[in-house]
Amino acid sequence: MRDRGAWPGIVVVVLLAVVFLILPHVYGNQSLLFQMMTFVVLTQGLNLLYGFTGYLPFGYVGFFGAGAYATSLLVLHTDLPVIACVIGGGIGSIVIAIILGPLLRLSGAYFSIANLAASQIMFFVVSNGNLSKITGGPYGLKIDRVYAPEASYLTMLAILLLATGLAAYFRASRFGLGLRAMTQDPVSAAMAGIDVVRQRVLVWLASAGIAGLAGGTYAWNLSVFYPDAVFTLQISVFAIVFALFGGVGTVIGPIIGAASLYLLYNGIGISFPQGFELLYGALIVLLVLFLPNGVSSLLTRRGVRVF
Amino acid sequence: MVGLLEYAVIGGILYGLFFSLIGIGLNLIFGVMRIINLAHGQFIMLGGFGAYLLSRDLGLNPLFGIPLAIAGAIVIGYPLYYAVVPRLQKSHDPEMLSFILFFGIAQIIEALAVFGFGADQRSLPGDALGAGNLGVLGQEFPDSWWVAVLVSVLAIGGLYGYFARTKLGYATRAIMADRDEARATGINVDRVSAIAFVMGLALAGAAGVFVPYLLGSVSPDIGTGLTTTSFAIIIIGSLGNPLGTVVGGLVFGLGTMLMQTFYASWSNLVPYVLLVVIVLIRPSGLLGKAVRHA
Amino acid sequence: MSSEPLLRLDGVGKAFGGNIVLNRLSFSVEPGEIVGLVGPNGSGKTTAINLISGVHRADAGTIRFQGRPVQGLAPFRLAHLGINRTFQVPKPFREMGVRENIEVAAHFGGARGMDADAVLAEIDLAGHAAIMAGGLTVNQQKMLDLGRALATDPKLLLIDEIGAGLNPSELGAIANLLQRLAQRGIALIVVEHLLDFLNRITNRVIVLGAGRMLFEGTLKAASENPDVVAAFIGG
Repeated sequence: MRDRGAWPGIVVVVLLAVVFLILPHVYGNQSLLFQMMTFVVLTQGLNLLYGFTGYLPFGYVGFFGAGAYATSLLVLHTDLPVIACVIGGGIGSIVIAIILGPLLRLSGAYFSIANLAASQIMFFVVSNGNLSKITGGPYGLKIDRVYAPEASYLTMLAILLLATGLAAYFRASRFGLGLRAMTQDPVSAAMAGIDVVRQRVLVWLASAGIAGLAGGTYAWNLSVFYPDAVFTLQISVFAIVFALFGGVGTVIGPIIGAASLYLLYNGIGISFPQGFELLYGALIVLLVLFLPNGVSSLLTRRGVRVF
Repeated sequence: MVGLLEYAVIGGILYGLFFSLIGIGLNLIFGVMRIINLAHGQFIMLGGFGAYLLSRDLGLNPLFGIPLAIAGAIVIGYPLYYAVVPRLQKSHDPEMLSFILFFGIAQIIEALAVFGFGADQRSLPGDALGAGNLGVLGQEFPDSWWVAVLVSVLAIGGLYGYFARTKLGYATRAIMADRDEARATGINVDRVSAIAFVMGLALAGAAGVFVPYLLGSVSPDIGTGLTTTSFAIIIIGSLGNPLGTVVGGLVFGLGTMLMQTFYASWSNLVPYVLLVVIVLIRPSGLLGKAVRHA
Repeated sequence: MSSEPLLRLDGVGKAFGGNIVLNRLSFSVEPGEIVGLVGPNGSGKTTAINLISGVHRADAGTIRFQGRPVQGLAPFRLAHLGINRTFQVPKPFREMGVRENIEVAAHFGGARGMDADAVLAEIDLAGHAAIMAGGLTVNQQKMLDLGRALATDPKLLLIDEIGAGLNPSELGAIANLLQRLAQRGIALIVVEHLLDFLNRITNRVIVLGAGRMLFEGTLKAASENPDVVAAFIGG
């Protein structure tokens, strides 16, 4: 076994921590940094599932939204510390992922489209006026009494490090070797003794949990949100595009993809959304046709081993 | 209450027949090429804008949107087919890669539609396809619904005739059954597939002509919802069989109309719940092999 | 040890969509034995292997391994118990190194400490350890399938048409390898069309025709059995 050990993962995690701890002191717009971290987390979380098992969760945003709502409801109805509520958001998403577990029986595109439908169902249920008393219906929820931009920023950073650590573990461990094997050939993987279903479910739950934690922290940071702010399909779309661009199945690909494209989005996309949509639409087509493993594969082709 | 139920059932059948037309192009392209046209809903949307512009700017009957959709499908479809489909089919996972690639195409179309037509919802005066209401069993529906249903039935019947009676249709069915064998028997698989691809887009565009009437309006962002709904419909029905899509359309139409009549605020859940429930209870047999063997 | 055989099938049946592909198959295999499984195409040989290895589930009958019923167990559990196989169309992890292919099985197969180098030497791929499995020839990939199975330290190996497309000297080498494995106590069920090859390594064959067991005994006796002859000529 090519024994890379834990070092590359530790280096990436420490670097990320340093960068995102220093940046707010250099660059004043902490809200932008927070948004960017959120997308790096979501991209990495999607990469955990898509990059390491081949299941593309088109409805990934569903877990984000579920986490946002679970966290906010805990804040509103319990006296738990906010951090515990955020963890509750992660658990809430994991529960949803367990309920949706049977979707993993579906292959490729059917999984993706059914997962998309599931996230739409969550959105329509949560935003339905009949449930206003619980979910706030179309008006969303308000948890401004716990508003804390600094603390939520640090929490999102912790989630970013957790997601990156998980990706590094998948990349360098025997568990990850098993994941690679089962993605390439599930039948042979089973004959090699891998419990394919268990491994796949574990990754699915980890991926959902990351999105749930991120959703909870995002809600905490916003403190007031409409349902479409945390359930818009755009969030799934961005995570997919960012991951594809950077290169799935690696640790740094999704970080690079999300950070660079999010900056681009922030530069042109917010004022000129169609221009950005056109750009990433074209980017997807070009990536699938010419660079299916993302920009990081440009390095791989030159013999650099991308972590 | 009896009147309401009758209204919902008859309306559901009409709505469902129209939605068979909405879904059938996606079914055709998947059946022949094993390619998932995730931009399907965006092509429907383009058909809707075609009819809207013909009617508003040129004062033509919106039905001229149908020949326009066919022409558009030829102009867009052929180059698009040859640019991407053979390449996708040579890849290791055509289904998933086409899914992602056509998702990109969907985003491009949506962005261009916003540039070209603006982001607003556009609706057409209801009387362009006849000003009256036509009743059945005492339940009245606008003429535009009946025209849409008539066109849907003709289009699906025509597709059925194409499969059953023409040489090209026969070749298409051979490809659906076994691509490699079809190639081995001398069928020009690329040419026949390209025609099916163009037909799939044309059917989507033609369905779009009626979207401003049956859905009330057309706007650039309706594509994804229509694609998901189409997926639900063709998964309920069976693959490659136009009649299967009609069954799927009817289930969707009746479900939607019954929900709209009795639980209106939940009716937007219908296609999504149908989709998830169907893929979970009958993952195989409906749309080819949907289950991993692991 | 009891008198229970290593593997025992009792009335095992399988149908796909109403089409019976295997009907009341019963036989048993002892440790260290090489049993040939022969029959015309479509006679159910590969289905039998798929059922024993858990890739498909039997509709009827029982499959016992070391005395315990194993039908319905997931393939990875069977691999842990010591049942493994190769595939007619080899199924390596194409984008992983040859050595990694073996290591995955050594790690997950329930036989930790299995020496990947020894396995590589055994299947004659030591010189290719570092290249991607997808870059091997089909015959080499078949050997890699075998190596992956061996890395799980199996007690029963199911070999699905490993000989097709090999020249006589390669066939000879494989025959030697399979006999060495049998001498180690591994039981082998070998599906093969090449009767000379089978004749060399087996002392017992099971002949299937249209999903039924037609004959069990030596290959020589099989060739004189009228049912068998009819199945091969008529099938």
